[in-house]
Amino acid sequence: MTSDFATPAVTDPVPTEAPVLWYRDPISCLQSTFASVLARAGMNPLVALGAGWEFLYIPNDVRSEEFYYPCRHEGDLGRSLFPHHDVSSSWWCPADPDDPLRELREAMAERRLVIAAVDNFFLPFRPAFGDVHAAHLLVVHGLDERRGLVHVSDAMPPAFQGPIPLDDFLNSWGSANPQDRQDAFFSDSEISRRCLSVSVGSLRGGGADPGPERLAGWLRANLERFEDPGTVAGLGGLAGLDGFLRESTFRARAGEVRALQELYPFGWGMQAQAALHGELLRDRGAAWRSPALAGAGRAVESVAHAWTPLRITAAHGLDDPAAAADDLRRHAGVLRWRHTEAVESVQRALDEL
Amino acid sequence: MIDTSAGSAYRAVDMAPYANNVGISAAGHTSRGAFNVWGNSFPAEHLPESGAPVSVGGVPFRFPRVGVGDDNARCDGQFIAVEAGRFDWLHLLTASERRAEDAVEMHFADGSVDPEWLRVSDFWAAPAWFGETTAFATPTMHYPHHVQRGVSAMLWSQRVPVTRRADLSGFRLPRNAAVHVFAATLQRTAVPEAGHDQ
Repeated sequence: MTSDFATPAVTDPVPTEAPVLWYRDPISCLQSTFASVLARAGMNPLVALGAGWEFLYIPNDVRSEEFYYPCRHEGDLGRSLFPHHDVSSSWWCPADPDDPLRELREAMAERRLVIAAVDNFFLPFRPAFGDVHAAHLLVVHGLDERRGLVHVSDAMPPAFQGPIPLDDFLNSWGSANPQDRQDAFFSDSEISRRCLSVSVGSLRGGGADPGPERLAGWLRANLERFEDPGTVAGLGGLAGLDGFLRESTFRARAGEVRALQELYPFGWGMQAQAALHGELLRDRGAAWRSPALAGAGRAVESVAHAWTPLRITAAHGLDDPAAAADDLRRHAGVLRWRHTEAVESVQRALDEL
Repeated sequence: MIDTSAGSAYRAVDMAPYANNVGISAAGHTSRGAFNVWGNSFPAEHLPESGAPVSVGGVPFRFPRVGVGDDNARCDGQFIAVEAGRFDWLHLLTASERRAEDAVEMHFADGSVDPEWLRVSDFWAAPAWFGETTAFATPTMHYPHHVQRGVSAMLWSQRVPVTRRADLSGFRLPRNAAVHVFAATLQRTAVPEAGHDQ
């Protein structure tokens, strides 16, 4: 079927059921949008997002996007974010430039949620509206072409769910997201009408409570990856973390702005992952009356907190990377030590499970 | 009035000499504030008046002077000397650019030094993750070019213990660019030291 973009072959408006808004302060739109989709599929977002914990840095891979994440499985954010669950995802763009809404229309007709990349500059509900270009993700859960509306959901503050003008969505979705001096971290990355389709298979303990035995299996697998990351495209495990931190400090001392520029988006994914893994362990530790597991969770959360000064020092150091190198080295040392403590704590917690 | 006299349980610490950042702006001049790297700032119109005495959870603070330059100390390893005395707690009006935990050094007149944890939650529409008292939660956030409704700026009242039973002579803030201190108050030791009970 072919259709004209100007006069698309519209279907009746699809009744929309807004997805769950799920948010934690250390996460980005990447985790919040996946959480909405997984919750719709019957998964507990904290259990699913908090099951995995690893370190992976892929050189020359970091992009200026809030939702950047180093993928162990190239191109598959779902499989990389959820190593212990049956989740996968794939990026796609509209096949027909004359009818860019065709795939979205089909997805909505089948009541499938779609994660769309957007530029905040064109979204009326985002603080950056009309001001700052920045790559972001939101969930599309309805398309009403007769009224010229797209129903979207965005858990990141200020949380928003509801219809926005189709033209605003199309401008945002198709934005070139040009370089913006107000945002050195999430601009200068073309949006290109990208979308993520997420596939969820069996729940595999993704419900409210995975149970001690299943969680123990996840923890063992995570610890093994810290010890031996296997075949990965970049720097993995604790040895990879050492190499990444050493390299980042070295590049900063050499005055390389790019080294600091990529620490902010890259570190966000690592920080969010540690925060959610830690919260899951602490939560289950309290529920199962396992002080060692709860304590291990808090130790992993300390890893998340140690990412803060590294990311913030880098962000504030763009004008003079060399001047920031000493502070980066010190914060890197703390982050490394927090990993050591947390890995040890998780190891001890396994004895209680 | 804020009571931090000799007989009071509290002693305000003058943080003005250590201020190095503008974290609060007026609605008409939002671009003057830059609490975080994005240039966001706390809205002055939803906070106490400049230099006003405030009480948060029973702890008195002197709110910083606002609109006349820097209003908070971005933590850069500043050492704050205090008149020596016995204290149990260092109370801070503080906020962080994302959650952070780092060490404050407590320095004592006898030469001893103890690091103690300072834990501060995110200022950007976040919960009190470390169990702080919410000092102020504003209905708006200032962006460089506009006032944003629906995003709260959070200012926390956090406390740091002074565990050593010795005269405190000063404290040193961490070198952590994420953490900001707007005001500080020391709480005197509640019960005088005594020997073993008979």
